[in-house]
Amino acid sequence: MAAAILMIFYPKLVDSYFLHLTVATFLAMIMASSWDILARTGQVSVGQAGLFGIGAYTAALLFQKAHLHPVLGMLAGAVLAMIVAAGLGYLTLRLRGIYFSITTIAFAEALSVIWLMTPRVTGGAMGVSTPPLFGGNREQAYYLILMILALVIFTVWFIESSRLNFAFTAIRENEEVANVMGINPTRYKVLAFMISAFFTGFAGGFYSHYNTYIIPYEVFGLGISIACLVMPIFGGLYTIAGPIIGTILVKAIEEYLRVTFSYGHQIAYGLILVVVVLFMPEGLLGLWKRRILPLWGGVRP
Amino acid sequence: MREHEKNFLANEREHDQTMETPFLLEVKGLTKHFGGLAAVQKVSFEIRRGEIVSLIGPNGAGKTTIFNLISGVYGPDSGDILLDRQSLIGQRPFEVCQKGIGRTFQIMQPFPHMTVLENVVTSGLFGRVPKISMRQAEEEARELCQLVGLGDRQGAFPRNLTVADQKRIEIARALAVKPKLLLLDEVMSGLTPIETGEAIKLVLGLRDHGATIFLIEHVMKVVMGISDRVVVLHHGEKIAEGTTTEVANDSRVIEAYLGERIDEREEASC
Amino acid sequence: MDWPSFFQSLANGILIAGLYATVTLGLTLVLGVMGIVNFAHGELVMLGAYTTFWLFALLGIDPLLSLAMSGVLLFFIGIGIYRFTIRPILKDPPLNQLLLTLGISIFFQNLAMILWKTDSRSVITSYSGMSLHLGIVHIGFTRLITFLIAVLLTILLVLFLHKTRPGRAMQAVSENNTASWLIGINVQRTYLLAFGVASALAGASGALVSTVMYTFPMVGFKLSLKAFCILVLGGLGNIPGALFGSLILGLTESFVGTYVPEGSGWAEGISFILLIIILLIKPTGLAGTRRE
Repeated sequence: MAAAILMIFYPKLVDSYFLHLTVATFLAMIMASSWDILARTGQVSVGQAGLFGIGAYTAALLFQKAHLHPVLGMLAGAVLAMIVAAGLGYLTLRLRGIYFSITTIAFAEALSVIWLMTPRVTGGAMGVSTPPLFGGNREQAYYLILMILALVIFTVWFIESSRLNFAFTAIRENEEVANVMGINPTRYKVLAFMISAFFTGFAGGFYSHYNTYIIPYEVFGLGISIACLVMPIFGGLYTIAGPIIGTILVKAIEEYLRVTFSYGHQIAYGLILVVVVLFMPEGLLGLWKRRILPLWGGVRP
Repeated sequence: MREHEKNFLANEREHDQTMETPFLLEVKGLTKHFGGLAAVQKVSFEIRRGEIVSLIGPNGAGKTTIFNLISGVYGPDSGDILLDRQSLIGQRPFEVCQKGIGRTFQIMQPFPHMTVLENVVTSGLFGRVPKISMRQAEEEARELCQLVGLGDRQGAFPRNLTVADQKRIEIARALAVKPKLLLLDEVMSGLTPIETGEAIKLVLGLRDHGATIFLIEHVMKVVMGISDRVVVLHHGEKIAEGTTTEVANDSRVIEAYLGERIDEREEASC
Repeated sequence: MDWPSFFQSLANGILIAGLYATVTLGLTLVLGVMGIVNFAHGELVMLGAYTTFWLFALLGIDPLLSLAMSGVLLFFIGIGIYRFTIRPILKDPPLNQLLLTLGISIFFQNLAMILWKTDSRSVITSYSGMSLHLGIVHIGFTRLITFLIAVLLTILLVLFLHKTRPGRAMQAVSENNTASWLIGINVQRTYLLAFGVASALAGASGALVSTVMYTFPMVGFKLSLKAFCILVLGGLGNIPGALFGSLILGLTESFVGTYVPEGSGWAEGISFILLIIILLIKPTGLAGTRRE
């Protein structure tokens, strides 16, 4: 309860720079949590940038060509990303997991190529500009992103308490057995992908207006896809808190490194992935539950 | 058996029961090749409602392949499979399940990160047509756990349970879809004599309440004890079919099992 | 029909296919022997390219000669990577293997950015601009040599697999590692060697890459996308399939480059389109699989 009040009054309490940092972090949390939704079905997307970019360009181009209100543009981006995910997912989610992952990488890259080759429609390598979101009013941007983040968290909570949780978990743990138990794996995987795409697309749309300038290299870039997966993996998969915690820590590391290296700060992402897989597959949350909590309790579970 | 247990069986399924044919399952000329090898060759047999039929044969005879073909995991190269006169060919496993077939797996595969109860709830939620609510699925799952003897371990995780208990999870999961036909894949192997006795009681009880059961078994004592009829497979072909006495005295069956005396197999399974 | 263009495209397609094949062979070897898709394979190629570049820029060593040095260096780097990160996860689910190798890939991409910045480097030798005229076709000298070396490397690999003990051990292990272990093959050591050889191949192909393409931190990533496409095209874990797939991709890119307006830009996206088409038609690849 106190946290909620803090969230609402937060913009009054901090300066513009920190507000910006918070908005960026919330944006990342949205993308991390969305990625986790699909991950719950056992599918690893390494191409979220494709959906992010679609959202970003939809919002930016609709504003540029049709003067569509930014928030509507973001919604349009979200919906378009969701539709694309439905199509792509239907085609590729019926395949074994690793093929899907490879395809998602190729998907984002292909979009990048398409964008570069069609400058008249998409702005090409020169990118697309939009005026500052809400006229530069960071507070409003903060509230918008906070709302969407709350929506995402609510969605994940809803999934966890519904029958979808059983379906997703069963598919993830043993797809063939889940199939024999009456679960249509493709249908649920595509559903998860669509939900994930909606929020990732929205995030892209928000980013394009908030950042006022987007280029294909950035919004379709591998860096975004990697960020989407490192944060939830670091924090702890298949949980609500995991992606959130993971994002905060990763963002903190990133900010520190970005000051030192202008390019290549994602080296930390690579290290995190390797360390997590080798030493802490359940992420930070898992580490907490298994090693740190028991120390307080005195007895190992 | 108690009153509520009746509810888990085919009788309660909400759909038309086509009573014109006594055959619940008809398998006709089923053939399946893997690479160049014929795993199953022109196998045909029928299963009547309420029967307990055993599928036996030496290792590699194609028994689990038959189960996989019936449950839709593989598609046959030729032949037909009819459930209540409806062909199952081309149906995907989840569709076959929803049409009324529940099965267990020879190598137990419970969902590792779900509790026993959650494992059973999962089948109930998705295998049943029409879909039931989460609350109903949970209630039924609790009753099923009681039925199979896991009542006090519903909150446990499968990896902490014994082999016999994991087999119970498999059975409860298969029952949760309220199947017309229950496929049990070697549920008796690896059990102690006491556990085997309990399992036999369970299977017979299920039949008494109207279930039709098709089981793959190696434990001959069980097969001879509870089967109404037996189908014998060897190198993918059906070599015999009939009552337990007929099959036990069939020379081809004896020949197929040559080198594996029947009593030796019983001892090995204890 | 403009025959000169046609044959030129054909020639270019074949030449580039040779390069793609050497890049993919290492990936195929690891997949076939260990069943792991090494997402960091492209970065091993990239490191090989940079090695060659720096040897050339700092010591003036001709790239096609330093190929062996890149190969050897990457052999040891590969062994190191295998020993410390891959071996522990051999029995893990494919998801973990994917994430681990992806992590290694990201690590090296960014390391390259930090050490060598993002500028594209070229290796320009005295013979870089030369070309041969074979009838109506012009063939870049460097490209031709690269292709011939690629063919040589492929032949060497096949000979290694068929005529040497470690090589035959690798074949056995890729068919059935339990049976191999039973007949006395040291499966662990075979895995280690296979990864090393694959990395050496990657290093060598990196040397080739540095001569016909630009060298930059993401070059490995771009190439691995093509390699995945080839893997799927040709059937996984199988060498003839990799060669076949490389040819298909090389020719398609070349013809698209020639005949489609602005084709050279679109050619980059070809691998994705091919990938999708193949996965839809035959999820196990065109030429069948030895191992999935």
